[in-house]
Amino acid sequence: MKSNLKGFAENLLFVLNILIVFFLLFESKIVIPHWLIPVGRMHPMILHFPIAILILAMVLEFFRFKDKYQAELFYQRFTSNLLLIGLISAAVTVIMGLFLSKEEGYEGSILQWHKWTGVSIVLVASVIYWCRNFTWYNAPLAKGGAVVTILCLVLAGHFGATLTHGESFVLGPILPQKTMPQVSLEQAQVYEHVVKPILEAKCNSCHNPEKLKGQLMLTDEASILKGGKTGKLIIPGKPELSLLIQRIHLPAEDKKHMPPTGKPQLTDEEALLLQLWVKNGADFKRKVVDLPANDSLRKLASLFIKPAIAATPAYAFEAASEATIKNLNNDYRTVTPLAKGSPALAVNLYNRANYKAKQLDELGEIKKQIVSLDLNMMPVKDDDLKYITSFENLTALNLNFTDVNGSGLSKIAGLKNLRTLSLSGSKVTLQNLQQIKGFKALKTLTLWNTGIAAKDIEKLQDANKNIQIISGYKDDGKAMKLNPPQLNNAQQIFKQTTALKLKHPIRGVEIRYTLDGNDPDSLKSPAFNKNILLNKHTTVRAKAFKKGWISSDIVEFKFYKSAYTPDTIYLTNQPVERYAANGAQTLIDNELADLVNLNNRWLGFEKKDMEVFMHFDKPVNLSSVMVQNVSLPLFLLLPPAQIDVWCGPNEGNLKLLGTVKPAVPKVPGVSVYTDSFVGFKPQKVQFLKLRAKTQFVLLVDEIFLN
Amino acid sequence: MEKEIIEHGLTYNRRRFLSSLSLGIGSIALGSLLIPDIFKGSQSDDVADFIPGLPMFAPKAKRVIYLFQNGAPSQLESFDYKPKLRDMWGQELPASVRQGQKLTGMTAGQSSFPLVGSYYDFKQYGESRAWISDLFPYTAKIVDDLCIVRSMYTEAINHDPALTFFQTGAQQGNRPSMGAWVSYGLGSENKNLPAFTVLLSKGKGNGQGVYSKLWTNGFLDSIHQGVQFSKGEDPVLYLSDPSGLNRHDRRKMLDEVSKLNHMSYEEFGDPEISAKIQQYEMAYRMQTAVPEVTDLSKEPDDIVKMYGPDCLVPGTYAANCLLARKLSENGVRFVQLYHQGWDQHGRLPPEMATQAKDTDQASAALVTDLKQRGLLDETLVIWGGEFGRTNYSQGKLEKDNYGRDHHPRCFSIWMAGGGIKPGIVYGETDDFGYNIVSNPVHVHDFQATVLNQLGLDHEKLIYKHLGRRYRLTDVSGKVVRDLIA
Repeated sequence: MKSNLKGFAENLLFVLNILIVFFLLFESKIVIPHWLIPVGRMHPMILHFPIAILILAMVLEFFRFKDKYQAELFYQRFTSNLLLIGLISAAVTVIMGLFLSKEEGYEGSILQWHKWTGVSIVLVASVIYWCRNFTWYNAPLAKGGAVVTILCLVLAGHFGATLTHGESFVLGPILPQKTMPQVSLEQAQVYEHVVKPILEAKCNSCHNPEKLKGQLMLTDEASILKGGKTGKLIIPGKPELSLLIQRIHLPAEDKKHMPPTGKPQLTDEEALLLQLWVKNGADFKRKVVDLPANDSLRKLASLFIKPAIAATPAYAFEAASEATIKNLNNDYRTVTPLAKGSPALAVNLYNRANYKAKQLDELGEIKKQIVSLDLNMMPVKDDDLKYITSFENLTALNLNFTDVNGSGLSKIAGLKNLRTLSLSGSKVTLQNLQQIKGFKALKTLTLWNTGIAAKDIEKLQDANKNIQIISGYKDDGKAMKLNPPQLNNAQQIFKQTTALKLKHPIRGVEIRYTLDGNDPDSLKSPAFNKNILLNKHTTVRAKAFKKGWISSDIVEFKFYKSAYTPDTIYLTNQPVERYAANGAQTLIDNELADLVNLNNRWLGFEKKDMEVFMHFDKPVNLSSVMVQNVSLPLFLLLPPAQIDVWCGPNEGNLKLLGTVKPAVPKVPGVSVYTDSFVGFKPQKVQFLKLRAKTQFVLLVDEIFLN
Repeated sequence: MEKEIIEHGLTYNRRRFLSSLSLGIGSIALGSLLIPDIFKGSQSDDVADFIPGLPMFAPKAKRVIYLFQNGAPSQLESFDYKPKLRDMWGQELPASVRQGQKLTGMTAGQSSFPLVGSYYDFKQYGESRAWISDLFPYTAKIVDDLCIVRSMYTEAINHDPALTFFQTGAQQGNRPSMGAWVSYGLGSENKNLPAFTVLLSKGKGNGQGVYSKLWTNGFLDSIHQGVQFSKGEDPVLYLSDPSGLNRHDRRKMLDEVSKLNHMSYEEFGDPEISAKIQQYEMAYRMQTAVPEVTDLSKEPDDIVKMYGPDCLVPGTYAANCLLARKLSENGVRFVQLYHQGWDQHGRLPPEMATQAKDTDQASAALVTDLKQRGLLDETLVIWGGEFGRTNYSQGKLEKDNYGRDHHPRCFSIWMAGGGIKPGIVYGETDDFGYNIVSNPVHVHDFQATVLNQLGLDHEKLIYKHLGRRYRLTDVSGKVVRDLIA
């Protein structure tokens, strides 16, 4: 560097130092002219130069007195010039910074720290610059000075960054997240748990005690209500007049839009929430659940509250050891924690046959931890309740359908946390229930199916207003319709005789029936008993009756007698492919085909007639033939137009035994069995021919020979 | 060899150390760019903290009974009262209401979409003054225990995808069913019964199929699969011993098989082997537990009047409701019922009436029954189909006859117990019953809410499979807090 230029620079540095001192002394009196504001605002841009240059200069200064470098002329001159350049840029930066600090919004201790460390850099480094050529300036001084300057640089840099970016900007993402204290919806307050977190996340980096942009602070209730430079922030109930809401709804290009461009923006939900909050009066204390159920603020706010993780009740007692819990768990007793990390345990007992009182006794080990005990259906006796006496944290006890009569309730009266007691279906008596007055925390008591009269339960309820007594289902006396009787026969086709088996699932039901096709009634028709034998084709019609009930619909079951099965059977026309079933054998397999799934087991003919030949090895004494088929006229499934039956000793020598023309069922849309009966004089038959004339589609299931 | 090692140590100087160190740091940095959580402490990693078989937070409901009305019952003849549709009977559905909604192939070709109001009248019931159609008189009686959601919507428009979506969170199938997720998340309460059971019944109305893929365990362990209880002498197939084998011999056989299985488990370490051992043992215990649970003979007489006489006829909806209560009461976490026959494309008035008659009394009885046993607080009952039905008639509109096509944009379900707010009606549809105007609830929201009641965070109930983390709610779903008591 030329010496005159260097001299000029040294003078400039001196002037700048004076200027800095001047600014510091008269800081409060200075007003920054309008045109100088941009200069101040260049502070964050320029400051990177002095930091880099000065650190480099200080490192060189640190090693300056090393023998190797002392002789290096370039090293010495370079260090000096670099230090000077760094110093001038630092001084300029400091002055700019002082300008900037005069703008609104910069206050607080961090700013002070930044200011004074920044100024120290210039002062310390200037002293070093002016003293470094004196003879008394030695290596330790150089090293010390360099360290102090670098330290100041680091500190000033850090505080400056904190001002600009907020605290823990760098490490924030990897530091443990500051978690909101979890609250349940019941406890959540609109401001504390919904509004405040939004402000903290999106506004407070500029509006905090350290950085009062617009002289506005949003960190506490008082300052929010106070507002900022432009005026009041919030006019409760009038969002359209409130600055807060106006600013966040300005177009993003607008200078006054908040948060400023480049900063994290409010989401639509957050903006709407703030608006609704102001509209609702900007209350700082109100709970979310205190708002009306249909209130939009309530609905929106409840979305902001994290799922009810916090709803896990806090228990003061210690958890039982894992080994204890494991040991107590077996096939018929489950012991499980209420939730992950909860010390509370729920115990359920299963399988009546395996119950022993010992299973309760063993629970003594976890008597503190049990909060719910389920003994539903176990043969628990009143005396067994003594094991429960010390389950001090028990809140729910299920004794439904146990053998207790309530005399043992005194043993558990001291359970001060018991809230739910279920005694449905137990043998508990009204007298023993008088003790429940002593159950201080009890909220719910179930007494359905206990044999205690409804009016007594009402009295009990009146005497214990703080307990909700659930008496359960009450028969309103309205008669209900019975369902029809059911058939219990495995087979509806029989060879000689079969016993009729009817049943009804409801106790005490009487079944009346007819075998002649008439409607059964409660007067004339016989009641069903187990000794009814059927020995011919029979249509059973049955109906169920019970006192206090409306009698059932009539149900119909068909029974078919099939005395003879031919030894050989064959068809002359093949059935259509879709209804091929099992060929001719289908007709004599003695299995009824399904009325719903017609593709199964039905033998079908279209356009062609069914012609079937049957042969007996030994002649049989035949008196009738019955053909069973399905009719569904709507879908053109019709009974045969005519059935003819021939018989004889062989194929070439047949005589006509009978003919029948079946009627078409009246209801076209329902599939029904139609049975066509051909009766004749009993005669020895060895060979039989049967022809059924197809009308559109003919589906045949069985042929019964008797 | 020793020399080589020393030599290697000597040549490993500072420069090489530093250069390889920088490479190492570089690759760690790169690694953390690719897998952001690689350095995340386990402290805040809740996913890793989730222990299968234990609620994440204190549950409101311990068990679920899901009464699935398969085929999609019409909301307009049940819980969503729209008098305007009656006023506008036969008029054309305005395009401004339809908003380009894609229709199924069954009505897409229709030249006219005549609006049709409910054939049945509605009345208000209970303290909640909820409107309920005359088809559901028993449900109307318990309305103050119910939370009716009228603003459900789904993404699918045909039965199978919609049903699969409801049950597994995805339309294509092969994901674990809701019950399997719950079994995985909460484990079994009773070691003698499966945690997830399935009951089927068939109504008289136009039906749609249900398939075992709906209660699959998907990629979860096979112990989480739904076990179907059927009617008849063997409610659980292949459970009873063959004739001639006594229980003692069965025990001996199982012990020997278990020894062999343990050996092969030690050799291969396949978790399915240990699942198999557990399943054998559970089946053995089920041999005594199932007859005890399915035995209806000890039920009090009142029960028959409550559920209706059909409840003693195995395989009916009423019998399944009763059995569902018994299973649930015995610690089965998730009882899934399906009742077929709700697909009323035509003949809606008569078919809907039969369907309602078959289901109304037993559904209501189940809620009452749980309540009178003090179990409703801890049991969540859900009633609903896979989507809704259109406000216009499918096919020719006649005075007493019409049909309704599939409608995914809005439909109604109800829930009871399990910490769900009783006596409320949530959500609203427009006057045409076509679009939701307030508080929409997506299927995933519904699933998230159900899991929440069970103490499971739907975002953390995760299973890693084929390199991806899976959830019941896939990548969406919000807990509907307004429904929670």
